[in-house]
Amino acid sequence: MTFFNVIRWIVWKDLVTELRSRETMSSMVFFALIVIFIFSFSFSMDQQAAREVIAGIIWVAFAFTGIIGLGKSFSTELQNDCLEALQMVPESKGAIYLGKVVANFLFIFVVEILLFPMFVIFFNLDVVEEISILLLIFFLATVGLSAVGTLFSALTVQIRAREVMLPILLLPMVIPVMIAAVEATKGALNGDPLTMYSQWLELLAIFDVIFTVVSFWLFEFVMDN
Amino acid sequence: MIIHRVIRKVQRFQGWFGGGAALFIIAGLYIGLVDSPPDYYQGEVVRIMYVHVPLAHTSLFAYIVLSVGSIWYLWKRDPIVDNMCHAVAALGAIFTTLALATGMIWGKPTWNTWWTWDARLTSYSVMLLILISYLMLRTFIDDHEKEARYAAVLAILGLVDLPIIHFSVEWWRTLHQPQSFSMRGVSMSSEILTPLLCMSVGMSLLFSYMLMVRTQLLYLDRLLHAKKGRLLSQFHMSQSDS
Repeated sequence: MTFFNVIRWIVWKDLVTELRSRETMSSMVFFALIVIFIFSFSFSMDQQAAREVIAGIIWVAFAFTGIIGLGKSFSTELQNDCLEALQMVPESKGAIYLGKVVANFLFIFVVEILLFPMFVIFFNLDVVEEISILLLIFFLATVGLSAVGTLFSALTVQIRAREVMLPILLLPMVIPVMIAAVEATKGALNGDPLTMYSQWLELLAIFDVIFTVVSFWLFEFVMDN
Repeated sequence: MIIHRVIRKVQRFQGWFGGGAALFIIAGLYIGLVDSPPDYYQGEVVRIMYVHVPLAHTSLFAYIVLSVGSIWYLWKRDPIVDNMCHAVAALGAIFTTLALATGMIWGKPTWNTWWTWDARLTSYSVMLLILISYLMLRTFIDDHEKEARYAAVLAILGLVDLPIIHFSVEWWRTLHQPQSFSMRGVSMSSEILTPLLCMSVGMSLLFSYMLMVRTQLLYLDRLLHAKKGRLLSQFHMSQSDS
């Protein structure tokens, strides 16, 4: 199996598993819905206050939803010794990493696409003109979350207290993604010109590139049996 | 018992580090607290700087040592390097916490606030969070070799991430709040510089001494576990024979 075949095979495997059982996506979507409700109860939602904090609420919801998806990504491999099977693949482990990153990215991105209309509805957002920029922000930030999250998911799957260690390890590391995504989303929702918040998009792109490369290299050490 | 070559080398001069640390810290504290003049603007409160600044610098040094040690471990797989990484992370977390605490105590009378989401302070606290998550990761893994490898991976990721975190937080803060007070509230005359240097050297020596002692402790603990495991397995084998 060549490098790209391994990647394609892993993406196909995760997608087919998910299509048949739909357990990861449904729990992610429902969890995000609950988070939206909790936030609308926790903040007094007059129009002005909503405008200030909505970007932050969106990204907190997406981050915690993403953590659920990332956690399930490797914990489903624990059944039937699938993790050992992955470790025995003769190709470089980086191919497995990239395959998992693509699969996780797709799951989280689809959930974000499904959930964002809910935000628009519940918080009366005005997004028609900026929809392409928002999609770009979601794309870049989700790549960053998936790149670091997949590595940490593989790292925490075999340790005790795995459910709680993944957010503890992941969230400090993706602080730049959170800051940049929130600032860029805020700028886009306010209708600011792109030049005002393009630095954040550049930061997201740089973060994605650096961390995909570094995690790709470090994944060898995590998957070393 | 075979003593690791590094332990043998280190035990020869660790006492000097400890004694030197005591000397410099006592001298620095005396000069700083008793001898040096109070600051023109801040008065006597500035004396806490003689403790706060060395603590902060040493904690940054600790993180650099952790990163270099983790890369070294992944390259050479020397177990005592792993023990050193564990020791330096714990010490770094303690020094960082003390630096933050003394900084808060200094901040309350001078800036009238315990905390501010200033860029440097925020990214420094994130470094503490990463150190604590590193220590938690080490606690939750049972297999020693896996623990060493995973901890090294986490430390290297943290190393790559910390500059990015620092810059993103700095951009974020300058966007929302211009610097309302400068961090450099103290003019650096030689009377202030001498106790500061003295305490800096003392803290570094103290940190090095504690690192050496703790690394040896962890290494011997690891040897003890291995010995216990071997004895237990011999015992079980002899039991199943009879």
